[in-house]
Amino acid sequence: MGKAWASLCCLLLFMTLLTGCWDRRELEERTSVIALGIDLVEGRQNLYKLTVQIPIPIKIAGSSGQGGGGNKDAVKIMSVTGKTVTDAVNNLQQRLNQRIFLGHTRVLAISEDVARRGMDDIIDSFRRDPQIRRLMWPVVVQGRAADLLEMKPGLIQIPVVFLMDLIENGTKMGTIPDQTMGEYLIQTSNETLQPMLNYVQAYKDDVKWKGVAVFRDQKMVGSLNDIHTWALLQLRDEKRGGDVIVPLPGKGGGYISFRPHFVRTKLEMKGSHATGQDNHSGHGVAYLCEIQGDIIEMTKNVEGSPEEVIVMLQKLIKKEMEKRARKMLDILQKQYNSDILKLGLAMRGHHYADYWRKHDWFKDFKQFPIEVKYTIKLRRLGMEMH
Amino acid sequence: MSQLGKDPQHNTFSLWQMTSLITSTLIGVGVLTLPRTTTEKMFEAGWMAPILGSVLTFFAIWLIAVLSRRFPGLTFIQYSRIVWGGHEQSRLGFWLSLPWIMMFLIALFVTTAITSRIFGEVVVTAVLMDTPLEVIIVSMFVLAVILCLHEIDTLARVNEILFPLILFPILFIALASFQKAEWNNILPLIRVPWETIITGAFETNFSFQGYEIMLIFFAFAHENTGKVKAGFYGIGISVFVYTLIVLAGIVVFGHEELQRVTWPTLELVKSTQVPGLILERLESAFLAVWVAAVFTTVANGYYAVIYGLRQLLKKGMLFQRIASIVLIFPLFFVAIGPQNIVELFKMTSLIGYTTVWISVVSPLIHWLIMLYRDRGRKREKGSDAHG
Repeated sequence: MGKAWASLCCLLLFMTLLTGCWDRRELEERTSVIALGIDLVEGRQNLYKLTVQIPIPIKIAGSSGQGGGGNKDAVKIMSVTGKTVTDAVNNLQQRLNQRIFLGHTRVLAISEDVARRGMDDIIDSFRRDPQIRRLMWPVVVQGRAADLLEMKPGLIQIPVVFLMDLIENGTKMGTIPDQTMGEYLIQTSNETLQPMLNYVQAYKDDVKWKGVAVFRDQKMVGSLNDIHTWALLQLRDEKRGGDVIVPLPGKGGGYISFRPHFVRTKLEMKGSHATGQDNHSGHGVAYLCEIQGDIIEMTKNVEGSPEEVIVMLQKLIKKEMEKRARKMLDILQKQYNSDILKLGLAMRGHHYADYWRKHDWFKDFKQFPIEVKYTIKLRRLGMEMH
Repeated sequence: MSQLGKDPQHNTFSLWQMTSLITSTLIGVGVLTLPRTTTEKMFEAGWMAPILGSVLTFFAIWLIAVLSRRFPGLTFIQYSRIVWGGHEQSRLGFWLSLPWIMMFLIALFVTTAITSRIFGEVVVTAVLMDTPLEVIIVSMFVLAVILCLHEIDTLARVNEILFPLILFPILFIALASFQKAEWNNILPLIRVPWETIITGAFETNFSFQGYEIMLIFFAFAHENTGKVKAGFYGIGISVFVYTLIVLAGIVVFGHEELQRVTWPTLELVKSTQVPGLILERLESAFLAVWVAAVFTTVANGYYAVIYGLRQLLKKGMLFQRIASIVLIFPLFFVAIGPQNIVELFKMTSLIGYTTVWISVVSPLIHWLIMLYRDRGRKREKGSDAHG
């Protein structure tokens, strides 16, 4: 009898293995959207056009066996319109056999028109939807966002992965800002910060990173080019930025290329904690940026003893980098009036009582005194001695 | 172990078991919302709230331990009537102690229900969108009932085993998220007036609810273990974890963003990248492990309620088993009572206020009366149970 009970219990126990998750949904039972693009509909100001890129699993799995070829069809691109993002997604659902799953969405492409009109309308659904990753990459596309999704880079089956790798590798190298969805959301809710997003241009068969789009109050006001973005990265995040190519002085012409390796930035804040008149009451900041790096190219030899040459080159590079940073700050302050430097955060943190409470940073940033000072330390000259 | 009471499972809790009992009861769903609730009033200084708020908690656990030391081997249910009526007037003592005991049991009961409801809400919003809330809540209750079918030493061992499973994920998340830290977010250190800090800290005290179960479980401490020590260790670990997670939330998100997200700790998990990228979308894995943390909170609370009832009515194990199954029905209806998440959070803070009554005011009154009427066994000179 006991044995019978024991075997019955075992049988019942095995039944628990047969159960599944309540809302189990197999991979092929849902449509994973890997990228979203948002455009305005021409002529209809209240409609958004949503473009999605959906990878076709069977094509991707099969192509390695078939040895490439025909990888242009590895993704399906669809466009729908809607009054809001959710409306558009619902319209899209009506045209798809499986349920849409946004949990694998890695790139959100936003056209410049939408960004300039204001992001507040579209961003809310991304904040609310629990499937959306905070680590996804929103980018602003010059021109149409749909172009970015429709490009065919050829090197990789899923076009958007191409862009994703481009950005991810850039952030690892320190040349592209690590600007994820989460960062954007934080920058919009924090009173001291202004958001920015990576700015790209789509071509027919590839994509180019062009710098960052600068926002003010969720509205895009302009962009910084790559050189100015690198200056921003050095000052803000201690990232190294890209190589600096400086023309050599003198009539001989020629260029030198400097590759930064380590960046240390110190934000020096001036202004006493005690005084509190109007104006800036002596407040101001200075970015002291120390860069160590190598010379990687010299198209023309510079005459002189090695010691002198090093000093001369350091001075040359320093001047060029300070010029770039200065220009970047001028654009941000005078032209866009948008603090994407995280300077407001530092000011609120360190000068709360004496500065922050008495000034409106939103307006005051425009004429806030900011200085930049670079220190260049040339370490190596590559494999060549001179 | 040389000491054997009349009941074999009595007096067996080790120091470590009691510590894990306290910590794993405290660490539950509260951690998921803690970064938001603490920064609501204190802004950048939110990370101080767990530290400041714990002062009251340390005092309360000390009181509970001292009371229990005065009545060794007896639970709050048993010694409350001695405190109120002495050994002579036990009928009077029973009636006088009844309101306190009922208040304790009902508050614990409601807390347990709400905890499981919050857990259900998290799971439904974040991972299992199509699963009915009721299923998640009921499956949690079924687990709690299974534990209630066993004796009290099983409870201690379960807590001991699950303890690392609760502690490590949350520590891992907090530490891993520091790589994205923006330290200017915690400055200025203090910008709100002192009164706000005090109220904020006091309200954080609510997230320390659950340690009142020690009113019952301290009775089963092994003779040689320091109850005060166990209490301080248990609360201390929780304070450490709480502070760390709030600090991580503030330096990663900043207090403004924290106000806008419903489950800040979950968002922290979502924005944390594990080096090596073995697991993407970490939040599902985190929530799966998190079941253990919520289970210990719910089951310990429910067990304390059932055991308290059993002692109140002076019944045996059979009663405990039947009661644990029967009481699941009212528990379920309390859990699904709040209509939406706003009501739910309102109810949580309401419970917070009652908890202060249960775990601070009630022990304090008992302690004062005990001192006044000189009840219970006094500590022998020199043999301090501090250990």
